[in-house]
Order: sequence, then structure tokens, then C-alpha cells
Amino acid sequence: MAMTTSQRARISKIVQAIIFVAVITTLVIVADWPKIRTSFFAFEKLGPMFPDLLLVGLKNTIFYTVISFAFGLSLGLVLALMKMASFAPYRWLATGFIEFFRGVPAILVLLAFGFGVPAAFPEAKWPFAVTVMLSLGLVAAAYIAETLRAGLQAVPRGQTEAARSLGMPAWRAMVTIVIPQAFKIVLPPLTNEMILLTKDSSLAFILGMTAAQYEMTKFGREGITSLGAGITPLIVAGALYLVITIPLSLITRRFENSSARTKR
Amino acid sequence: MSKIEKNPVFQAAGATISDLRKSYGNNEVLKGISLEVKPGEVVCLIGPSGSGKSTLLRCVNLLEKPNGGTIHVGGFEATDPEVDLDRMRQNVGMVFQQFNLFPHLTVLQNCTVAQLKVLKRSSSEAKKIAAENLERVGLGDFGARYPDQLSGGQQQRVAIARALSMNPTLMLFDEPTSALDPETVGEVLAIMKTLAKAGMTMLVVTHEMAFAKEVADRVVFMDGGVVVEEGPAAEVIGNPQQPRTQDFLRRVLDPTHVDI
Ligand SMILES: Nc1ncnc2c1ncn2[C@@H]1O[C@H](COP(=O)(O)OP(=O)(O)OP(=O)(O)O)[C@@H](O)[C@H]1O
Ligand SMILES: [Mg+2]
Repeated sequence: MAMTTSQRARISKIVQAIIFVAVITTLVIVADWPKIRTSFFAFEKLGPMFPDLLLVGLKNTIFYTVISFAFGLSLGLVLALMKMASFAPYRWLATGFIEFFRGVPAILVLLAFGFGVPAAFPEAKWPFAVTVMLSLGLVAAAYIAETLRAGLQAVPRGQTEAARSLGMPAWRAMVTIVIPQAFKIVLPPLTNEMILLTKDSSLAFILGMTAAQYEMTKFGREGITSLGAGITPLIVAGALYLVITIPLSLITRRFENSSARTKR
Repeated sequence: MSKIEKNPVFQAAGATISDLRKSYGNNEVLKGISLEVKPGEVVCLIGPSGSGKSTLLRCVNLLEKPNGGTIHVGGFEATDPEVDLDRMRQNVGMVFQQFNLFPHLTVLQNCTVAQLKVLKRSSSEAKKIAAENLERVGLGDFGARYPDQLSGGQQQRVAIARALSMNPTLMLFDEPTSALDPETVGEVLAIMKTLAKAGMTMLVVTHEMAFAKEVADRVVFMDGGVVVEEGPAAEVIGNPQQPRTQDFLRRVLDPTHVDI
């Protein structure tokens, strides 16, 4: 007997629901609940993590993210302008840089800066945070450059022409007319880049850190070995990442909605 | 002379173009154009698609860099490599087919931004001048809107007000009504006619033959990168001498006519 499309859709929905309930039930029955509580949700044992998880860990995560992002954004803007330059060697240089740092793992760049540079230049001594900023910032710059270039090029040429024909010098047309319009276009992908950086800041552990340099993931790892609370410290650290990243997403979404409104 | 009566209120400058050449790669688009626009004069530029009209107009304020020839606009030699292009462009208003209003700025800000940033006028003076020009194009109440809240015809009128707010002595129009819905073409042409009456020097690329016939002091017909015919509007449009002009006008005035 032939079924109509809506009948078939209804049956498929019912089957999906049954499977879902069956899987959940099995998991609930099979799971060792007391064990889950002591290894995932042993919040009462986390006392020693505070307040340092917030005052040091959260602070450092934000600090590493912000300095890397600031450096990545500045360098990214330079690279974007180089990629749009009429002087071909600028374009080649920028393309080479971007392809390289987009293609290698961030952790490899961190290792190169953390161990390679001190080995090659024993005299060069710079703070831990600078190493983090340079390595994560270089990788971020490669992504940000492409984002910015696409944003600047998405502003129609006619905008620059109108600005120039009103007597604005090229830099003024860029600053007053093109960049504000490009900003709206690049804000969502830039926020995304910031979220990625927030998470990548946890890679800094690979360089070896003093207690004052710990960021949240490192605190979580330390907590696992010292507190006997299973992975509860990681759950708390993970939640703190969300405290940073979810508001970032929300701000972007709000901004997207409001600019969609002015677009008729 | 055109048929309209002029009561000059604008300060007007002319433009002199001689032996202008422009190529894109091997494609020579302007093949030695000479053209004079006298102060206060309205010159309409007509010709088939691809004949180089836009390129010519864009060379006048150096949006395109000519390969040869000279252009004088007001007191400036536009083709002099030493010329202060930004200063020169302050005196030359340009109105584009696609309006090119700044979408992130209000209508009023569109008309004040260059006054503030380029002419360094005070905010109150810039607003006053912008308001006067918005009034002139019939959009005095629209200052707080954004461009995308306006119809095409209204946007183009704002673009005209924006250009006028710089007190240009010469205005360039590149097919200002070609992107408009038919019912809004008239309102833009009407504004341009009032500018002509007020003595603005205008170089207008257009396919609106009725407008050219009524408002233009002179009509220039271009084809294949050269000026084929020029003269008073009534003669070039009403009684063209060159076969290419006749052929073009026949096709424009009677679009359904096809030579077989
Ligand atoms: N930026 C450019 N690069 C290469 N070729 C160009 C460029 N701009 C214009 N051209 C060419 O120059 C020629 C003249 O173009 P132009 O836009 O000046 O013609 P037009 O008379 O304004 O035509 P239309 O009535 O379609 O606007 C065309 O063949 C066009 O393909
Ligand atoms: Mg054109």
C-alpha cells in the first residue's frame, strides 16, 4: 500500500523518538551513578581551586586572548592591505605568510617560539606572555587578514569613487567610508576568530608555566591530579570558557540582527 | 542655446578637453577627444553603449587616468601630474548611475561628511548648507533617513544634493536616470533642469533625448571613442548630419525599429 509523504514523515518521526528514548534509557540504566557524581560533579572538593581559578586562570586566559587578538588584528590589517597592494612583491609576501601560518598547527608555532627562538638567540629574553602573543597572534593574523581583505573588498568600488570625487584623499575615503562599512561585514567572523583564540590560549601550557602564568585549562589539569575530584575541575574550567565565548556569540548575533534591520 | 531661460545663481567654471586618449590594455577607448564646456553651459553627451561616454566623464575628474591629451577644469589642469587632485575634485561634482550614496550614513550625513572632512566647515555651517541643498532637491524632511529607506529617484536626488553641498563649479552626470524606475525619472530630470536654469555648468551623459533637446545648450554624439557630431541640441537631435548619428537616433527614438 502506498503511503503519502506526510504519513511517511510521521512514521519516521515516531521511530526517531523511540530510538532516542531507548538510547537514553539504556545509558541511564547502564551508568554507574555514584561514580559519575564523584568523578564529574564533585564540586564540594573544588574549594582549593578558588579564588585562583578566577583571579589567575580566568584573568590569564582573557589576557593571552586579548593580547594575541590585538597583535593578530594589527598584523592582519597590514597583511590585508599588502594583499590588495598594486606592488606585486607585497602581495606575494602576504600570500606566503598567510598560507604558511594557516597551514601549520598553532601548537607547532608556539613550540617554535618557546623553544626554537631561545635556542637560536640565547640573548633574546622576553616575557612568557610575549611568546604567547607572538605565536598565537601570528596564526590569528593569517586568518584575520583574509577576513579583513574580503570585508574591504566587499564594499563596492563605487563607494570609494563617490568619496574620491567629493575630494577625499584615498586614506580619508578608506577611513570614513570604506572601513566603517567593512567593519559591519567582518565583525561576525572576527568574533569567531576571538572565540577560537580564547580556546587556543589553552595551548600555552606546552611552553611550561609558572603558577602565576596558569590559564584555566592548566588549572583544570592541576586540579585533576591534586583534588581527587575526578574531572570535575575540567567541567568547571569548561563552563568558564562558555562564560566568555557565549556572550561573544550573543553580541555578534545582536549586531547582525541590527545591521540586518538597517538593510531594509 | 537651449530653450530654457537661465538666471544664474551658481558660480560656474568651464572645462576644456583636448586630444584626450585613453586605453585599457590594447583597447583604445578614447581616440583623441576634444570638447569644450563653457561656464554655465549644459552639454549632453550621447552615443551607443561602449562608445566611451562614461570613460570620458570619469577622465574629467581623473577617476580614470588618461593616456594622453589635456584636461582643464576651472583653474586646474587635471592632467598635470603635479595637480592637487583632491582640491580639483572639490570643485567638480559627480553624479553616478548607481547613486553611490554612503549606506552607513544618514541622508544629512551623506551631504555633510565631505564638507566636514574635506572643506573643514563647522558642523552647523555644513548642516545648514546640506539642508539648503536637500530643500533644493525637494527632500528637506528626509535628512534623518538612511539611503535604503528611499526610492531610487529620491536616492539620486540626495546624490545631487550631496554633490551640490561642496559648492561645485561644474557637475558631471553619468546616466543619472538609467537605473531608475520609469515613474521616478521625471523627478530627477526636473531637478537637473532647475540646476541648468540656475546656471550650473553641466556635462551630462544621457539617453533622455527629450531632456537633451530641451535643456542642453549643446549635444555631442560619440561613437567608437571619437566625437562624430556636435552642435546645438535642436540640430544634432532634430536634424543630424552624420549617418552614424542618424542611425543611433533612429534606434533610440524608435526602439522597435530594426534594420533588416
Ligand atoms: N575598467 C575598464 N577596464 C577595461 N575596459 C573598460 C573599462 N571600463 C570601460 N572599458 C571598456 O571601454 C569601452 C567604453 O566603455 P564606457 O563605459 O566608457 O562606454 P559607455 O559609452 O559609457 O557605454 P554605456 O552606454 O554602456 O554606459 C567599453 O568597450 C568597455 O568595455
Ligand atoms: Mg556608461
